[in-house]
Amino acid sequence: MVCVRKATMDDLLAMQACNLLCLPENYQMKYYFYHILSWPHLLYVAEDYNGRIVGYVLAKMEEESNECHGHITSLAVLRTHRKLGLATKLMKAAQTAMEQVFGAEYVSLHVRKSNRAAFNLYTETLGYKIHDVEAKYYADGEDAYDMRKQLKGKQSHHHGHHHHHHGGGCCSADARPVEAPPESKSEAKAST
Amino acid sequence: MASKFGLAGGIPERRVRPIWDAIDSRQFKNALKHSTSLLAKCPNSPYALALKSLILERMGKSDEALSVCLNAKDLLYKNDSLLMDDLTLSTLQIVFQRLDRLDLATGCYEYACSKFPSNLDLMMGLFNCYVREYSFVKQQQTAIKMYKLVGEERFLLWAVCSIQLQVFCGNGGEKLAMLAEGLLKKHVASHSLHEPEALIVYISILEQQARYGDALEILSGKLGSLLIIEVDKLRIQGKLLARSGDYATGADIYEKILELCPDDWECFLHYLGCLLEDGSSWSNGVHNDPINPQKSVDCKVSQLPDEVFHSRISTSLAFVKKLQADTSDDFIRCPYLAILEIERRKKLHGKGNDDDIVEALMLYFLKFGHLASFSSDVEAFLQVLTPDKKMEFLAKLMKTLDSPATVPTKALGQSITIFKIQELTGNLYKLPVLELESCAVQMVKMYCKSLPLSKDLDPQESMHGEELLSMVCNVLVQLFWRTRHLGYFIEAIMVLEFGLTIRRYIWQYKILLLHLYSHLGVISLAYEWYKSLDMKNILMETVSHHILPQMLVSPLWGDLNNLLKDYLKFMDDHFRESADLTFLAYRHRNYSKVIEFVQFKERLQRSNQYLVARVETSVLQLKQKADNIEEEEDVLKNLNSGVHFVELSNEIGSKTLTFNEDFHSRPWWTPTTEKNYLLGPFEGLSYCPKENLTKEREENVRRVVEKKSLLPRMIYLSIHSASASLKESVEENGSKSGSKISSELKFLLEHHAKMLGYSLSDAVEVVMGVSSGVKSFEAFGSDEIDWINFAVFLNAWNLNSHEPLQPDRDQCGRGIWHVVDTLLVKYISEKIKSMESLVCSPRVDLPILVQLVTEPLAWHGLVIQSCVRSSLPSGKKKKKGGSMDQHSSLVLNGVRDSIQSLCDILKEVAKWIRGQIDRPEDESVENILSSLRKKEQDEGPGRVFHVLESLIPSINEAEHGGRICQELKTWSALDVARKIVTGDSTLLSQFLNICESKIKSFQALKQQISSDIKCVLLNVFPLISRHFVPALGAAYDLELLPYLSATERVEWIVQALHRWTRSLP
Repeated sequence: MVCVRKATMDDLLAMQACNLLCLPENYQMKYYFYHILSWPHLLYVAEDYNGRIVGYVLAKMEEESNECHGHITSLAVLRTHRKLGLATKLMKAAQTAMEQVFGAEYVSLHVRKSNRAAFNLYTETLGYKIHDVEAKYYADGEDAYDMRKQLKGKQSHHHGHHHHHHGGGCCSADARPVEAPPESKSEAKAST
Repeated sequence: MASKFGLAGGIPERRVRPIWDAIDSRQFKNALKHSTSLLAKCPNSPYALALKSLILERMGKSDEALSVCLNAKDLLYKNDSLLMDDLTLSTLQIVFQRLDRLDLATGCYEYACSKFPSNLDLMMGLFNCYVREYSFVKQQQTAIKMYKLVGEERFLLWAVCSIQLQVFCGNGGEKLAMLAEGLLKKHVASHSLHEPEALIVYISILEQQARYGDALEILSGKLGSLLIIEVDKLRIQGKLLARSGDYATGADIYEKILELCPDDWECFLHYLGCLLEDGSSWSNGVHNDPINPQKSVDCKVSQLPDEVFHSRISTSLAFVKKLQADTSDDFIRCPYLAILEIERRKKLHGKGNDDDIVEALMLYFLKFGHLASFSSDVEAFLQVLTPDKKMEFLAKLMKTLDSPATVPTKALGQSITIFKIQELTGNLYKLPVLELESCAVQMVKMYCKSLPLSKDLDPQESMHGEELLSMVCNVLVQLFWRTRHLGYFIEAIMVLEFGLTIRRYIWQYKILLLHLYSHLGVISLAYEWYKSLDMKNILMETVSHHILPQMLVSPLWGDLNNLLKDYLKFMDDHFRESADLTFLAYRHRNYSKVIEFVQFKERLQRSNQYLVARVETSVLQLKQKADNIEEEEDVLKNLNSGVHFVELSNEIGSKTLTFNEDFHSRPWWTPTTEKNYLLGPFEGLSYCPKENLTKEREENVRRVVEKKSLLPRMIYLSIHSASASLKESVEENGSKSGSKISSELKFLLEHHAKMLGYSLSDAVEVVMGVSSGVKSFEAFGSDEIDWINFAVFLNAWNLNSHEPLQPDRDQCGRGIWHVVDTLLVKYISEKIKSMESLVCSPRVDLPILVQLVTEPLAWHGLVIQSCVRSSLPSGKKKKKGGSMDQHSSLVLNGVRDSIQSLCDILKEVAKWIRGQIDRPEDESVENILSSLRKKEQDEGPGRVFHVLESLIPSINEAEHGGRICQELKTWSALDVARKIVTGDSTLLSQFLNICESKIKSFQALKQQISSDIKCVLLNVFPLISRHFVPALGAAYDLELLPYLSATERVEWIVQALHRWTRSLP
């Protein structure tokens, strides 16, 4: 019924609506573009029977640090489609891609301390553990749990598919669209 | 030559660092200081100059920045021994780009690359420049050069990508695809491929050429292992097999996918397509629009012989049953819904029967009936049932209510589903009024009963039974439509306001309220709710249709201006920045995303709403400044006298427009921006399947844009036509431009008439007919504003035209002024009369009244202002000794009459508005509330409201939780009623301001005319009149004497007499 598939550019039109309809806050469109243009393998949408986008996961790779790891930026499921296990499916799809395509060693995310539904999803269904607490992480002053889940890591070297850091030559300073990523919205409202 | 580390643009890094730091921390003054001292040391360093220009640009000094930047560029070109490094170039590039001079940036890189043809950094910079300019051919050439230089796979893919873009974005075709394939093939032979995206591009190029077999071969070969995620590969394989016509193998592949992902609905449809040998879901141009997805799957009636069909169907059934058995997951709906799809296909093939479908529906209900998604899941399957069978299904559903589920939330979910199915089948609205009312009461009771279930939910979490109030609202609006009893409408508002008191985030309620308030005519409240939805970014493209059309015809100009400005800013920013983002995809080697992204940008660029917003922004400015002709002329000047918009109007027919609005969230009574069922008589319709209405809308949008974009030019020409008409009589050289204006205006009038469906002369006939009362206003249809605009511009043209309007009739110079005045006055007074107070009926005529005043009347006012300005001998416009001829005086008379009648009618409007605003608030509030008060008898509006009101006393913390208790304490129906009244006053006050400003402007004109005419009479006339008697006669003829006071008149006559006696021989 619900097909979890990779996101396309056109899906952004509906994904934004999905975000709006799930959370009372939403992202800059540029931030979506930043994700889909950089790590399209990590963006999944849940498409309902009639073609509507009813959920999505937005994730990225942190390649700067020593341990290559993924980060879940945003997870959303429409209210009409809660309690169908969609959030789990979306998360698993993104985690698998992190692991298999990029060889991520672990995946991290932030969640509001008060968001019990999401916290339960992450700990009980998906096996995340609290790594740290970030005080006043959100704009409204609420703390966030910094959660992590260990992945199996890169099992085999696959055709040298690396993401090189090219010299600054090909890309002007302005070409980096990410202002401070609004991670304060990385909480998920979904629950299993 | 390349910049060494630590030596930026030939300057030691330590000298440059403070400048960059200051720029990054936005301390531009400080940065400029550092830059000045750097330039003192290296006055001819292009890099130092580039830095300075960057700072200047950031400080907003664009002109200075450009000149410094050009200076740097010249130095760079002049002195070859200087370093031509990427740092300098990229700094220049940033500045040029910010100054909207991409061409200059590209020029720099082109020059640099020609000097240092083997520098990869510079070439990448140049490629980047072409990406910014969307020059796909040059991108391709540059990438090929890079590929030849270093042989890297990514550069080849950049080239291939650039070729693909040429194919997708217009010019290109088969040959280009072949070229791309050739390049890849050669590379694969010598180097193989190393990136998954490269493989995907390769396959898609083969696919474009319908070379499915070749693509499959590559996929199953060594290269296939690049695709790490198994199902990704299988999906591509399945698609290629199906498109190649190998359905049997395709079906096997899809079975595999379904075993891995049993909930993949799209895959199931493909599976079925393969089994039934129906390729329609893979055909080119297959419907793929996330905004307007299709309700049911496109499928052809199978051509298979019955036997084969049956065997395939049984295969699919067996497989689906197996899937059901294999999946223990309770959430997976696909294998269950699949049964319904199979039954639907059987029916389409003429082999199914409705009973099986009903049975399958029931089974699906028993498993998933409690889910909010149930009704949208089964919508398409209900549509294939006959009305009788639908009723049968419904009856069966009702029966399940006898033994409800034990889990309360599940039981609630099922009950809601049953209501929704009643809504969906249209059954609900066939009920008699009383039963329909009872149904709403039942729903709202269920809502109240279910409140305790939500006691512990987070404030942002959706509530149990939330949909019930939306449904209650739908029913109440239906009751209003049927009975025209406004009480139901107010009740619908109260219900939703109540719901939002409990939970602030329910966007469905907000959207419904927005439309309810819009229909009621209280657009200010509608806009408040819209704002509370906090629409941003792309949502402005997909969601602003809820409010924009109403705002365009409202007097809330400030809010409208913000709405349009925000939207256009978002779109324009995106168009400016998207090219930079494209490069991100190149850099990350996500080639397919490059193509998608460029196509996405084009999709937005062709947005119909974007076009409309651009035109409407200009029209809004023209409306806002119409009371002052000089300010209006400034606006027109910025619009290039409306020339571009005329071009737009001419081109619109050939443009492909995109429709990105998401209409699914609109209420049933207004499924599109063009449609509002409540305006018409009751049609027995209740649920509107929101099928894709794009075709219809496209035609309408074209028509609107075509017409509206002529407005600025017609206004411009009308102003000039009016002034030329008066100047021409005195200025000989004026006639040439005058006739040019006249012929262009005539051309546009013909065009305008044609858009209204008439020839120019027939349109004139209609206008004359309506104004004289021979024809009724109905002749204008729903285009009344366009018609009256037409009359206004016709008059302006007529002033300066020597052609008779109606050749076969007697012409009277004052006739057409009179026609316009009459039309405006008649129409406006009719609208005022039609509108009673708000509480009796929604004020649907208010937008038309606002339009009449702010559009045709305003444009007519401009013609008047133009006449007055050019006709009177004040200041530099003094007539060169000419006499006030017959023509001018006739025009002036027309003007005078016009001003009088327009002033009078505007005063009427103002009086009506004041009457509305000044009504005692308590009385209006009482009127609203009394429509809800339940009478003794058991029917009529108020029953639902009563249920909600009687809930309040029973609310307690133990049962409903602290939060709900707290929120409900703030509920007050009185406050809502008061809010409606205040909102209404706000709106009307804004309209009143507009009217008053116009009245003031007309009064000033009247004063000006009278004082100017006084001037003519007192000074000019006696001088130019050789004879007192003729002068006096002329003054009487022209009805000018009344402009003088009694004493002035006596003095004038005495003076004239005196001159006359002196002039006697």
